[in-house]
Parts: sequence; structure tokens; C-alpha cells
Amino acid sequence: MAGLELKNIQKTYGQVEVIKGVNLKVEDGEFVVFVGPSGCGKSTLLRMIAGLEDITGGELYIGDKLCNDVEPRDRSIAMVFQSYALYPHMTVYDNVGFGLKLAKTPKDVRDQKIREAARILKMEHLLDRKPGQLSGGQRQRVAIGRAIVRQPEVFLFDEPLSNLDAALRVDTRMEIAKLHADLGATMIYVTHDQVEAMTLADKIVVLDAGVVQQVGSPIELYQRPANLFVAGFIGSPKMNFAPVKVDAIDADGVTVSGQDVINLRLPIRTSGVNVGDALTLGVRPHDLAIAASGTIIGRVTLTERLGNETIVNVELPSGASWLAVLAGDHILNRGESLSFHAETSKAVVFDKNGQSLVS
Amino acid sequence: MTASAVATLKTQRRPLYPGWFYAPAAVVYSVLFLAPTFASLYFSLTRWTLFDATFIGFDNFAQFFREPFLIQGLVNTVIYAVITSGLKVVIGMLLAVMLTSQIMARGYLRSVIFFPVLVSTIGVGMTFTVLMHPTMGMINQTLAMIGIKGPGWLVDPKLALFSVALVDVWKGVGLATVIYIAGLVAIPKDYYEAARIDGATKLQNFFYVTLPLSRPATATVITLSFIGGLRTFDLIWAMTKGGPGFASDTVASVIYKQYQAGFYGLSTAGNVVLFILIAVLVVPLTMVLNRKQGHE
Repeated sequence: MAGLELKNIQKTYGQVEVIKGVNLKVEDGEFVVFVGPSGCGKSTLLRMIAGLEDITGGELYIGDKLCNDVEPRDRSIAMVFQSYALYPHMTVYDNVGFGLKLAKTPKDVRDQKIREAARILKMEHLLDRKPGQLSGGQRQRVAIGRAIVRQPEVFLFDEPLSNLDAALRVDTRMEIAKLHADLGATMIYVTHDQVEAMTLADKIVVLDAGVVQQVGSPIELYQRPANLFVAGFIGSPKMNFAPVKVDAIDADGVTVSGQDVINLRLPIRTSGVNVGDALTLGVRPHDLAIAASGTIIGRVTLTERLGNETIVNVELPSGASWLAVLAGDHILNRGESLSFHAETSKAVVFDKNGQSLVS
Repeated sequence: MTASAVATLKTQRRPLYPGWFYAPAAVVYSVLFLAPTFASLYFSLTRWTLFDATFIGFDNFAQFFREPFLIQGLVNTVIYAVITSGLKVVIGMLLAVMLTSQIMARGYLRSVIFFPVLVSTIGVGMTFTVLMHPTMGMINQTLAMIGIKGPGWLVDPKLALFSVALVDVWKGVGLATVIYIAGLVAIPKDYYEAARIDGATKLQNFFYVTLPLSRPATATVITLSFIGGLRTFDLIWAMTKGGPGFASDTVASVIYKQYQAGFYGLSTAGNVVLFILIAVLVVPLTMVLNRKQGHE
């Protein structure tokens, strides 16, 4: 197994710069997830690692080997495609063994490896079928099997669950996590689904417009987002934001207020902030609770009762729409006025450039 | 189920258009296709002039099969169909692979390859007859310039049929290429990328991905060109008139000769034989070609 390193990796198509100098180190055996909205460059970055896209600038190392101009087959990688890319005219057995056949692996060794992969993925009974006779989940497993038999140093997954239905997605996600634990291989996984990112990753790389916004563990990104983009992207439902002004600063924190927030004292230490500065306050929906004399007041516009929790959509005085996730079942009427207490120790503030002020 | 629900279901199952919308097409089809087909079945059992017909049973068929050059015509027809469809498949596929890869002037070359399809078959036949003239033709004159004595393309009985078949391929390969191009561009590029990661060379890509996944296009090209080959007439007639002797006669040219001689019943029986020949060869062929492959 091997880690990999990206040094100032760039990609341009004509005049359009798609990847703008990405630096990243992936440790041996790490599960790294590239996450970001559509068009952020995450798939392009993965394809550059795979060797399916040329690297315009920078250096890509897999293990200790500079791989910029190395053919995909010589990079010791395997890739699972969003479409699975299973050859429809071949049986599962032949699909899984295709790479080994091309590598002229002896037939008995090939057979042994195919059956071992089938055993790991519990698909021994599918080996004689063709892809057209398989369900989406089974196809996905075959695609993973095709990657496993090659015993690559790095596994690459390009949105592998996006064609599955919700229930199957959860099951397959767990299977991939288990596979990583069993194989201990380095895995790079691209998704736009932040729940997949949070549940699978050792390390998440958040990308936007070809730029790495933040790299860190899932909890780190959730609790200490580096900027407004990461704060809004990671976490479900997404973080609430409100413009505020600094009223007072002391050794233990700052007090902010705005049209939607009244004298909210935040126990955070910031540097370079002055009284009167305009900031953006970020509060996660789970950190709001109904309180008799809360600092945030809004009018209920929609309630979603999920049984174990209630998601309330409220309209604040400025017209901004916030979400609150309340534990348990609450019956709330549309138009009802509610007052919320915010868990200030978990709140985040961002400067006018959108950068987090919480260290 | 309530009566209203049943009524709703019935409403939903009603065809989109009323039946009489099909009437104009049915009339045209009946007049131009069904009526002549059944009429020719009847006339093949008669001795007829354009004005009256006498029923003579299967005499025309017996007479047709007694024609001394018919067997050669049948063999020639099958050889011609196999050669032209085989070459169109191979050359059409190779041209399509070339014309879907990143080459210069791709659009222009696609037009050039397709151009002969648009030209009149008789025109092509006449042009190639001149080009293939044993002494004055440009082909043999060019060969002579490099010291090769060109063969008698259309006058050598052993070569005539093959020469016409080559011209047929030249004229028809553009259509095969276009069908293949449509088939090739429909193959998702993920397959090629997966094969590339697995270490496939370009040749392996062709044999393991392109060839099997363009099977529907191959089936279409084989079917169309094989049927076209079996019923070929115009090019043969324009270039050799079935000659020299009967060396390049096909069933269709034999039929035409009988028609020219005024044997309408006999030539109609020949057409029925050709119809049956095509059906007997093409129906099983298409069944094999279109067999389900467990495609996604």
C-alpha cells in the first residue's frame, strides 16, 4: 500500500482553470473523501490521479514515484466508476478478471483471485451472470470486485453510490467502510453527498471552484469550519447564518447583535476584531432550543415532524429563513412566534471575507 | 372496482389516436405493396401478357429452375452478397474507428466517405466501366506505369463478379461507416477508461470493447448489405449485363433478361423465388445477429 501527495496540482482547459493549485498529502491506508458541489473539480482531480486526465501543472506522487506522465495501468491504482463501467457482454467472472487477463496472469492464479474477491464481496453466486441480469447494488459490488482483484495501492471511487436508491446507498456505504477496514488500503472517494463524506472519511477535502477550502477530519470540519462555504456545505440541515455587529469585546468573548439576534454573548476568543465590525454569525440547527426568553425570535413557517425530532422552519425579523432541529416531537402552528436559545459555545463567526474567526 | 373506476381505466387504455388515422397509410401500403405482392404471387402461376393471363400452375417455376444459367446466377448472388456485406462490415468498421478518433479534417473525411452513397448507381457503374477498361481504363494504365499488367476487370469471367462487387463496396461502404459511427459514439467512454486503467492497449480496446459493443451496428450493416447484395441488379446491369457470358449473372439479372424477352409469368416466378431466397437466408441470419446478449 502507498500514500500519495499532490503538489500544486493544476488543470486548465484552454483558458479555463479548473483546478487551481491543489496541495494535499494522503497517508498510507487513509480514507480520503473529496467533497464539493457539482463543477467544483473533485472528479477532475480524481481522474488526474487515475491518469485519465493530463496534469497541466504541479507534481503527483503515488508512493515515492512521480506519476505525472505514467500510464494509468502503471500507477498501481484501481477505479470504481459512477456508471460501474461493467462490460455488458462479459460475465461477472470475466469482468472481475479482465485486468488480470490483460496482465497475462496465469489462469489458475486469476481464478483464485476472482473467487477470493467474490468471497469477500459475497457474490460467488453471481459469477456466471452478465451485468444486465444484476441489480444496481450487485453491479456496484462487481465493480468493486474488479478493483480488488488488481490489489492496487490506491483505490479511487468516483461517486460510486449515486446511482443507488437511498436504502441501498446506506448498506453499500457501510460495506465500503468495512472493506476499507479489512483491506487497510488507501482510498480516495469522490462524492457530492456530505453525509457519505462524514460517515466514510478519515479526512475530508472540501473543494469549491477548483480550490481546496479545507482539509480535516469530519468532526473538525463540522465543529470548526474554516469559512462560510465549508460551514454551509458540511452538516445537514445546513448551518444558519445571520449578519451581526460586534457590540462589546472582553477577555472571555464577544457580544454581538443584529436585526435577528439580540445581545448574543459568544464565549469565543478572536483576534483582530473591533467593536462595530460587521460579522456573520453561524449557528447549526441542532444548536437551537426553544427557550422562554431566547435571543433569537422567529415565526414558524413550516414544521417537519420526524418522530424522534422536529425540524422547524422559522422566519426571522429580517426575513431570513432559519432551521431549528428540536429533539422529540413538537406540535407547532404555522405563524406561531417562537423564541430560541442558541448554544453559543458551538456558534461560529466569520469576518467580512467569510473566513472563520474561531480558532 | 367501481363502475366509474373501470370507466376511467378504459379511458386510459384508449389508443392515443382513433383507428381511422391509420387509414391513409393502410391504403398506400395496400395499393403499393400488398396488392402487387399478392398479384405477383398469382401471376407467377400464369402465362400472361400485359392484357390477359392463363393459369398454368407451377409450370413457370419448373421452367425457371430448368434455365441452364440459373444455378450459376444463384451461386453468384450468394457470393456477391457475402463478399459485399463482409467487406462493408470490415472496411466500414475500420473507417468508423478512424473517423471517430482524433484525426485532422474528420468532418471533411466523413463527407468524402459518404459521398458515393449519394451518387446514382448507374452513373457509378458507367464511370467504373470506363475506369476498368482493360486497355484504355485509368486503373490499368496507372498499373502499367509501375510495370504491372492489369487484369481484365470486367472482361475476365473469373474476375467480373468480384470487380462489380468491389465497386458496390466502394459505393455502399459510406452507409456502413455512418451506421458504425453512430454505434461507436454511443459506446460510453467509461468502458474505454476502465479498460485503460486495467491496462488495455489500443488493439485490446478494439477487440474487447469496441467490437463486442458495436454488435447492434454490425447486425444492421450485415442485414442491410446482405439483403442489398442478394437483390442487386442495377450495378451488375450497368457494368456487365451479367457477362461475360453468364459469369456475373445474378438472380435479379436473370429475371430481368426473361422479362425483357417477354416472359412475364416466368420472370414473376423468378421474383417469387428471389423473395423466398432472401427470406430463407436473411430471417435466420437476423435471428442469430439480434440474439440477446444480456446487454444492460
